[in-house]
Amino acid sequence: MDQHLAPEQGAQVKVTFTTPETDIQLPESKRQLLVPADIRRYGLSRILNSESMLDTDGIPFDFLVDGSFLRTSLEDYLQANGLSLETNLTLQYVRSLIPPTYEASF
Amino acid sequence: ATHITEPEKELRDFSEALDMWVSFQNKTQPLSLSLSSQLRLILTPSQSTKLSGSFRTGKRLNIKKIIPYIASSYKRDKIWMRRSIPSKRAYQILLCVDDSSSMGDNSSGPLALESLVMMARALTMLEVGQVGVLGFGEDVFVAHALTDPLFSSHDAGARVLQNFTFRQQGTDMCRLLRTTIDHFREARHIQTGGSGSEDLWQLALILSDGLVQSKDHARLRPLLREAMEQRVMVVFIVMDDANTQTGNHSVLELKEARFGADGMPVIHRYLDSFPFPYYLIVHHLEDLPGALAALLRTWFAEVNS
Ligand SMILES: [Mg+2]
Repeated sequence: MDQHLAPEQGAQVKVTFTTPETDIQLPESKRQLLVPADIRRYGLSRILNSESMLDTDGIPFDFLVDGSFLRTSLEDYLQANGLSLETNLTLQYVRSLIPPTYEASF
Repeated sequence: ATHITEPEKELRDFSEALDMWVSFQNKTQPLSLSLSSQLRLILTPSQSTKLSGSFRTGKRLNIKKIIPYIASSYKRDKIWMRRSIPSKRAYQILLCVDDSSSMGDNSSGPLALESLVMMARALTMLEVGQVGVLGFGEDVFVAHALTDPLFSSHDAGARVLQNFTFRQQGTDMCRLLRTTIDHFREARHIQTGGSGSEDLWQLALILSDGLVQSKDHARLRPLLREAMEQRVMVVFIVMDDANTQTGNHSVLELKEARFGADGMPVIHRYLDSFPFPYYLIVHHLEDLPGALAALLRTWFAEVNS
């Protein structure tokens, strides 16, 4: 592989974003999204904050999958739970209560 | 060689599959009739009124040939068109149904099976050639061979439906296309005995939720080109079951996020990189006959022009 070319695109997984917080709801049409499968909490936060999503200013988010906080990449989560890339994961996002240490969680 | 595998897959219970076939066939009977009669007009040309060809004598001058005729000092004199007699066309049609588990998460799966029954019945009534059914996910399998009899019995249909359980843990569209092209190449050889004299048309109709890994989009392009060169027409029918109750959104709205070289997220519409030149989005089964007929009509007009 020629490393000078754009990085080879990796696998994707389809996610559905939900939140219990009324002031940071996404419009219906933006709730489903294909994201890189190797994404973690930090990358997901960046996507949510981006202009085409919530257009917010660097809110650190935590993500709950099936009731527990996401601490790995999505693909590691899927693998640990015997799921494949065919799965549509529901991610519940909440404002993070812990001050973000982005480097550590990336 | 084809890469068709016959894995020991779990089949749907026969009596359940039989009930499904019977109920889908009854429910979609008017649609099958409608599709069948629309396709009859498109797929089986009756008396041709079109003038074409280049002959020394004929009915009307071919204007495009006049300048070369003069330029060649009146040597290239095949400047006449004649009324062409339509050749009898034969078809080989593969219905390729997505058996991956993303189909089972929502109602795309049932919608695809209903569509399969509706189309299989329409093609059976039409009697224009051979009809086969492939299933695909991580693997590709033959649920009904092109050489198998058409779908005139419920049992034959039920045996096809038995194969679809939506449990495959991947959607390998590249493998599907590879297999389809190889399968058609072999089928053409068998049908025409290598002579290629018969006017044989090959058509693959893919029934899927349209969710393909975006990184495969680029890998699909050369395969689609190969299919076109081999005169195989590929139509992608997106089973788009947008439903507020199930919370499933339309693939038309689906976006994808990537990170640029600068680490910034960039968001695109998923379908923008979708590589299939001919695709339909079907929200309701009732839309399918008209939409498919319109697409095929356009395509035949293009290849005949
Ligand atoms: Mg799938």
